[in-house]
Amino acid sequence: MVAAAGRGSPTEGAAVVECRNITKLFGGVQALANVSLTMKAGEVVCLVGDNGAGKTTLSKILIGQLQPEAGEISINGVDQSRLTPRRALELGITIVPQALALCENLNATQNVMLGNEAVSLRIGPFRFIDSRRNRTAGLEWLKEVIDLDRLDYKQPVRMLSGGQRQAIAIVRAMARGTTAIIFDEPTAALGVHQTEATLELVRKVAARNVAVMVISHTLPDVMAVADRIVALRHGEVIMDKPIGAINEDEVAIAMSLRTIR
Amino acid sequence: MSDEPRRVALADKTEFPRPSSDDNLNLWSRLRPEVGTQAVRNTGLMIVLGGLLLSLAITHPIFFSGTNIQVLATNMVMLGIACAGMTLLMISGNVDLSVGSMFALIAVATALLSFHMNGYLAFFLGIPMGAVLGLVNGLFVWRVKISPLIITLAFAGIYLGVAELINAGNYVPSLPASYAYFGQNYWFGVNIPIWILGVVALSTHLLLSRTTQGRHIYAVGGNREAAEITGIRVRRLVIGLFIRNGALIGLAAILTASRFDSASTQFGTNLALQAVTAVILGGVAFTGGEGSLFGVAIAVTLITVVQAALIQYNINSFYSDVTSGALLLVAVTLDQLTHDQRERYKTIRGLRELRAREQAQDQSATPGSANSVQSGNLPAR
Repeated sequence: MVAAAGRGSPTEGAAVVECRNITKLFGGVQALANVSLTMKAGEVVCLVGDNGAGKTTLSKILIGQLQPEAGEISINGVDQSRLTPRRALELGITIVPQALALCENLNATQNVMLGNEAVSLRIGPFRFIDSRRNRTAGLEWLKEVIDLDRLDYKQPVRMLSGGQRQAIAIVRAMARGTTAIIFDEPTAALGVHQTEATLELVRKVAARNVAVMVISHTLPDVMAVADRIVALRHGEVIMDKPIGAINEDEVAIAMSLRTIR
Repeated sequence: MSDEPRRVALADKTEFPRPSSDDNLNLWSRLRPEVGTQAVRNTGLMIVLGGLLLSLAITHPIFFSGTNIQVLATNMVMLGIACAGMTLLMISGNVDLSVGSMFALIAVATALLSFHMNGYLAFFLGIPMGAVLGLVNGLFVWRVKISPLIITLAFAGIYLGVAELINAGNYVPSLPASYAYFGQNYWFGVNIPIWILGVVALSTHLLLSRTTQGRHIYAVGGNREAAEITGIRVRRLVIGLFIRNGALIGLAAILTASRFDSASTQFGTNLALQAVTAVILGGVAFTGGEGSLFGVAIAVTLITVVQAALIQYNINSFYSDVTSGALLLVAVTLDQLTHDQRERYKTIRGLRELRAREQAQDQSATPGSANSVQSGNLPAR
């Protein structure tokens, strides 16, 4: 199972992503209200909360897909007034989405290197792919996570199993996300063994000194992987505590609709 | 924070390793899945094309004279260039049904302009004109989030209407010689449009199969959201494809008008349907993400040869539409059947793999290197 040693102790990692007073409205509905959150290098933050609490909205703001109405985001200490998806990627922030994560028609290495291909020749706007170098680089990344003997990396990924696809999606995020990686419900579609392996992988990503955020609905997973738990309700942070200062019931209550008294 | 790097095997029982040499599945199943639908369909097309050519060679050897082949290739130019644009659009999951109307509009507009300005200039104006029309399509597809099918269908009506309005629906005959130069002259003994088709086909093939743009076109067709996450500028890419398609349609239009020394709104009739038919016949999935220019090139050749063969065999040319329709039907039906076959193959492979692992476990004399993880993935019996 996931190594618990050292988790919950105050992390000395630098604060790489800082959100201050983020507010987001959808029409008249307030999705996020004055949310402040810090992500530290090497720390796994679990973002919990009921449906509609604003978890996904917050993750979309962090990767630049949505723009907040108010509040600031600073990354590595630099204020980002307007974070676009490309800017976020350049800064090394990426996401492993819950579904629709891979291009099913491309193979494993092509997926890992997508948008970041090895180029051999440039003619104007056209860049020719150095396919050998591209494949080698992709395999370099993949072998950190998957046993290559058991991966048919020449097949389109739609031919692979769910666990392998999830691993490839994570590898792709690892290849780009040098600052922060957000996992949106990483274990939602997986079986017991794959869940275990995926959570282990999440810890491994954090061990590379990357700030990690895991959005989850599953209490045991949260307890197994988190260094710190942040709970949202109706767009507000109702709890932000390290794992050592928290018990399971408290998280369960924070995740449900009942109010803490 | 964590232990030393450890290999995590994420796998379950439905995992398919590369085939081993002792595969004792039947030959059909063994051939099927490793090669994609694409390759099977290309082979099928090539067999049909080869058979047709062979029968022509036996019955009408004159079919293979230099002049006839040249005529054949020239006949291929219009559809070929249109398909070079359409293939990329369709692999990215888009389509442009307004190409026929665009074609008519550009042919008539440049033909009319050639009487008022330098003929060469009027000729080459067709390309930017097409690019602008493509841009309009692309911008609407980008902004109005409705299927490009509907948007370009609307533009098909608009462009054709404009083409009829600007010359009251009349035919534009006897264009200046300068305009007609590129359609009617030869470079090194080969008709200029054929050279141009060759350049277009080659550059499109390189773009699609060798460049990052080509890879991204497949990615967008395969999964648009995933492509966006990896930083691909999807909208820019798609608009670029519409512009490129428009410019190529412009090129096809001016070459055709130039070749026939005249322009008419009738020119582009059916071009959109012909192009979509050829592209799908060539193995491009209508949903995007699959296909290659090579397959489409074979399909275009086949359609052109069928048309010519019908003339050779004195069969009513109306049958050529019937033939290309029937070919398309056969191709997509075969696709569906092979898809089912592939699924069955996957099941068989999965079962074999499972059985092999169970056997290995039973024997388990040598616990092996990574087998501990492997066995963890096996369901209890």
